[in-house]
Amino acid sequence: MPSPLLVLALLLTICFSLAETLTLWRPTWGGRAAQSDSLLGVLLGDGRRLFANHFFVKADVYFHSGYYPSVFDAAAQPPTQHIAEDAGAARATDEPGHAAGAKEEDEDYLGPPKDWIDRFSRHFYPSRHTHLDQPGEAREILPWLRIAADLDPQRVETYTVAAFWLRSRLGKVDQAEQLLREGWRANPDSYEILFELGRVFLENRHDPARARNVWELALRKWQAQEGAKSKPNEFAREQIAGHLAVLEEREGHPERAIDYLEIVKRSSPNPAAVQKQIDDLKAAIHATRP
Amino acid sequence: MTNAVLRTDNLRVEYRARELGQPVKVAVKGLTFQVHAGEVFGFLGPNGAGKTTTMNVLLGFVRPAAGAAYLFEVDVRQPIARQRLGYLPELTYYYKFLNAEELLRFYGRTFGIPAAELERRIDAVLRVVDLEAARKRLIKTYSKGMQQRAGLAQALINNPDLLILDEPTSGLDPVGRMKVREIIHRLKGEGKTIFFSSHELGEVETVCDRVAVLNQGELQVEGRVADLAAQYQCNLEQIFLKVIGYPAAA
Amino acid sequence: MRNAWAISQVVIKELYRRKDFYVLFVLTALLTLLMWSVNFFNDDKIARYLKEICLLLIWISALVIAIGTTARQIPAERENRTIFPLLAKPVSRSEFVVGKFLGCWLACGIALLVFYLFFAVISGAREQRWPWLSYFQAAWLQWQMLGVVVALVLLGSLVFTAPSSNATICFVSVMGILLLGRHLNTVALQLAEPSRSVIYAIYFAIPHLELFDVRDLLVHDWGLIPWTIWLLATLYGAAYTAFFLVAACVVFRRASLC
Repeated sequence: MPSPLLVLALLLTICFSLAETLTLWRPTWGGRAAQSDSLLGVLLGDGRRLFANHFFVKADVYFHSGYYPSVFDAAAQPPTQHIAEDAGAARATDEPGHAAGAKEEDEDYLGPPKDWIDRFSRHFYPSRHTHLDQPGEAREILPWLRIAADLDPQRVETYTVAAFWLRSRLGKVDQAEQLLREGWRANPDSYEILFELGRVFLENRHDPARARNVWELALRKWQAQEGAKSKPNEFAREQIAGHLAVLEEREGHPERAIDYLEIVKRSSPNPAAVQKQIDDLKAAIHATRP
Repeated sequence: MTNAVLRTDNLRVEYRARELGQPVKVAVKGLTFQVHAGEVFGFLGPNGAGKTTTMNVLLGFVRPAAGAAYLFEVDVRQPIARQRLGYLPELTYYYKFLNAEELLRFYGRTFGIPAAELERRIDAVLRVVDLEAARKRLIKTYSKGMQQRAGLAQALINNPDLLILDEPTSGLDPVGRMKVREIIHRLKGEGKTIFFSSHELGEVETVCDRVAVLNQGELQVEGRVADLAAQYQCNLEQIFLKVIGYPAAA
Repeated sequence: MRNAWAISQVVIKELYRRKDFYVLFVLTALLTLLMWSVNFFNDDKIARYLKEICLLLIWISALVIAIGTTARQIPAERENRTIFPLLAKPVSRSEFVVGKFLGCWLACGIALLVFYLFFAVISGAREQRWPWLSYFQAAWLQWQMLGVVVALVLLGSLVFTAPSSNATICFVSVMGILLLGRHLNTVALQLAEPSRSVIYAIYFAIPHLELFDVRDLLVHDWGLIPWTIWLLATLYGAAYTAFFLVAACVVFRRASLC
């Protein structure tokens, strides 16, 4: 009968050898979770994207101070994520019958109480449509946006929305720029992040040259990714080109402004107004250069 | 009006079988007997005779199918019937997270004993059962003998006029059994009525005034120990075996 | 009531001599403090996420305490045979049930007090203000809800044999009501008959525990609930609590203990 210590030592040696061998094999059969360098990626795998979406919606819930439709209400009428709209990351819905005046009523998902329990229960949860409009209040949505960004770094909207609120309502320009750069590292081809970065440079850093460079890069990125699609994201191009047009006009380059306005006109819902701007610029050019 | 402290009147207790279609099991059939004030009454019978079932009816744990039972001429179904009662179960389990003092205080409160009087009684009762030194220790740290004594203490906390003891010496060593006998004698001397079941027939013979023997739910014999001994011309153990139909030894 | 009160005190003693409450409180405190320590964009005034996490942990802990403590009360008494010396005293079965309810409910109340004090410290440290009346309303309503839950679990412990199955069934039911209770009417209206009538019947029959969940109001600083509404909610909770308690008393009075 071998000594117990000897048996123990043998078993330990076998375990150690197996562990060393399996560690080398692990990345090949562990999938992306095994190759991930993020703890969340390892723990949750691709399921983290679901969580990321949940936390992004959570930020919207916080923006509305808890007044938000449930999944049952949303099934009947999908909610509009104001935080994304206000950040310019999404276009306000233009469905038929959804006129500006009717917006508030349509967004009141609760409607009249269905029964006495429903009526009574409205005293116990947020039942009025509100926004975090007071100075500094918007900070409350930041934790959820941060967590959403950590869970899904490839979700570009999270960075653009968070950066908008950081720089425009909370005065945290450095944090906004840092966040956008972090998003850009995770999404090097994202024109949305580049566009938002350009806004930081122009509106907050007052650096038109850098803003121009970044927006021109954004436009090129857009062209490379969206140009060949049957339904490209024309809203994004409209935004980038529109801002470039305003920048060039302000910097005294009306010809460039006109070029960008021509791009805007292609997808604008109001091409006549854009054409008028172009005509005004052309008139201004002729006036200065007879 | 009798001076019966405890009486049953044609008591019948049935248990429904768990399996469908099985007949009802009759645990006690037409049991009628009385216990008078001041006497020590032994309630005897083989295992499964219906002793514990009868006690459960007296204590209100089980409803009879027919007949009635009374404590101090109050129907046992009324909680007030147990106001002057002390009960010591066979298996003594008490709240392990309490100590003896807290346990007695809790039970004492259920009798409505005023606080000052209750403290005095707790001290007295713990002295009687020799648990004063361990009064602050949690019951989960007690030995079996100590738990049995704690059980006796809670049975005495309200200075009861009637004590129902279910196999009070079960599981005790000879010293423990002697102590319980001493307590029973003392209580008898104080005029208490004691109703207890036991398999220790030698003990019963020395302590009890009257006995009743139950078998298969029916009362076989009841009377004074001395009278039964004279009638059957043998000791209590032999009387017991005879009435339950056990074949006599050659 | 004297006997019920005496029994309740024993239940409360059991709670603070067992480890459950301390473990849950320490867990809640640790997780909350962990979330406190996280830095979001160098802003140390962000408070709502912390309040939400803390309140969520409080709700989970309180439900675990309520259901866990109550589910084992009567089965443990029967299993440990401590019920026999107790009911051999002049204690009626109804007093026994009411005493157990009072003990579990008061124990939950004490636990809630400690949890909400912690919550007040945490949120006050961030927000630099203490809306005590709002905290009181929220804690009180949660306590009323726990009263309904305790009475329900007590009834369940007399109906189901095993404490574990009672606890599981009650926990699932309570969570179902909290998450879905408010929306059953919406779901019902989207269904055809007879499902619509069935769901609507369930909607009106169940105790709407979600009424007592005012976390969103507290997290997002919605201010006080009108006191008359608060009182009506208290009476609503008391009515359901009484219903379940009476049912438990009726069931227990008919039960054989052997």
